[in-house]
Amino acid sequence: MDQVKIREYDKNKNPFRLFGAHVAAVGEGIKHAIKPKTITLRYPDVSMTLPTNYRGMIRLYKDVCIGCSLCAMICPADAMKMTTWEGKKLPQINYGRCVFCGFCVDVCPVDALRETRVHDAAFQSRRELVFNPDKFNQDFDQTLPVKGTVRKVRAVIDENKGIRYVPDE
Amino acid sequence: MMDILQDIKYVIFYPSFFVMIIFPGLIAGGLFVLFAIWFERKIAARVQMRVGPYYVSRFGGIAQLLADAIRVALQEIIIPAGVNPTLYVIAPIFPLLFAFLPLAFLPIGVIPEQGSVFSAYYHSFFDPGVNMGVIAALPTEYSLIAVLAVEAAYPIFIILQAWATNNRFALVGAVREAYLSVAYDVLILMSVIATAVEYHTLDVAKVVQSGIPGIVANPLAAFVFFVGLIMATSRFPFEIVEAESELVTGPATEYSGLLFLLAMGGSYFGTYVYALYFAAVFLGGWYPLSGFPGAVILFLKAAVIVLFSVFLRSVYGRYRIDQALRNSWRLLLPVALASIVLGIVGGWLWIR
Repeated sequence: MDQVKIREYDKNKNPFRLFGAHVAAVGEGIKHAIKPKTITLRYPDVSMTLPTNYRGMIRLYKDVCIGCSLCAMICPADAMKMTTWEGKKLPQINYGRCVFCGFCVDVCPVDALRETRVHDAAFQSRRELVFNPDKFNQDFDQTLPVKGTVRKVRAVIDENKGIRYVPDE
Repeated sequence: MMDILQDIKYVIFYPSFFVMIIFPGLIAGGLFVLFAIWFERKIAARVQMRVGPYYVSRFGGIAQLLADAIRVALQEIIIPAGVNPTLYVIAPIFPLLFAFLPLAFLPIGVIPEQGSVFSAYYHSFFDPGVNMGVIAALPTEYSLIAVLAVEAAYPIFIILQAWATNNRFALVGAVREAYLSVAYDVLILMSVIATAVEYHTLDVAKVVQSGIPGIVANPLAAFVFFVGLIMATSRFPFEIVEAESELVTGPATEYSGLLFLLAMGGSYFGTYVYALYFAAVFLGGWYPLSGFPGAVILFLKAAVIVLFSVFLRSVYGRYRIDQALRNSWRLLLPVALASIVLGIVGGWLWIR
């Protein structure tokens, strides 16, 4: 059998400095345990206000749409499909397939598709994931199952911590 | 009627029963182990900028572990094809048993002749070494060594458990345990020998009643014993046997349901019993109190040790097996030898 050579980094050969390094590591851990820099958002109770250009769920403006079907053609996941709706060609979307790439929004020549800031939704069945043009034409709104009010926060860059949340509105 | 109550009280507070079953034995120990696992998750979450258990119960999800334990205990026990079912079922019981059994020899307090709830047992649990009764399931004058002697059987049953499950991850874990057990047993025994030489006794009660905590008398031995404790019960950074990211859960890989709880409980109970021993020998134990309050003091000291050792999970990564062995033989063995020299000098000049 070949000899396996394991390369070690040459640092802290001095056992006293090694011991000191261990004490420093444990001290750092205790510092974080006493004064935690928690960045996890307690999500359903606290919700983050998203930036305006967030790629959330897509909504259709039915009156603007010219039925060119470019969105259905560019869709990489085959989520967008054209249907005949009240005598007009309009897109419908299947959120079970959508990958939120935003190609349809980019390609639309008349800006009939827009991205909204909604990203949290739950559905009872897969059939509900398919939005027909009428449902697609409205702002998606689903109340979260939370007791009391949802606190809205905004993320700001903090030089010490990375991310810090400040109350919004 | 009063006689029956007196009899029940006599039986409940009979040290052999009280120590092993109620406090600090099975009931108090089991609840404390659940608390320690919750603490481990919560403190690791705090250090790693997360929240940890949150929703179960009002106070920081403290009932999460109780819920998890009940859920796991009620799960189906799956016995794989190609194992001996009898051995497979009894194998996880032995490590838990031998992690827990050493408590029988460990005195958790002394009994004054009068005034304590334990005073009725003064004569039957008399220890001539300290000239008082001791609260121990099995009082012996060699408790310093007897605890370690029983605890030393623990790795053998880990290997049996891995062998009985017939799983390659379990076998790799068992081989690692075999490697490590030699390293940590030497460290623990040498630090205890240093303490025994320094205090001129093999009786834990006498060490505690001398009034000098071992960590003051021999800090090197205390340090070596603490590292040995972490290694022996596979806490980070020596969590090499159960290495989750490499070996699933090591020797407990194949177990499910109640058997999984038993297999995983062994190492936590081991930490708990070693911590009680450490608190008695090196942290002054119950001194200067006696009776039940002294046992509570000992328990609180041990609790701090257990919580600190599970806290290390959030600080360290995991050593490789060769790194752990090299550190223990090359760095800690000389410290252990130095602690024996320190023990001889201290026992000769200071402690009579």
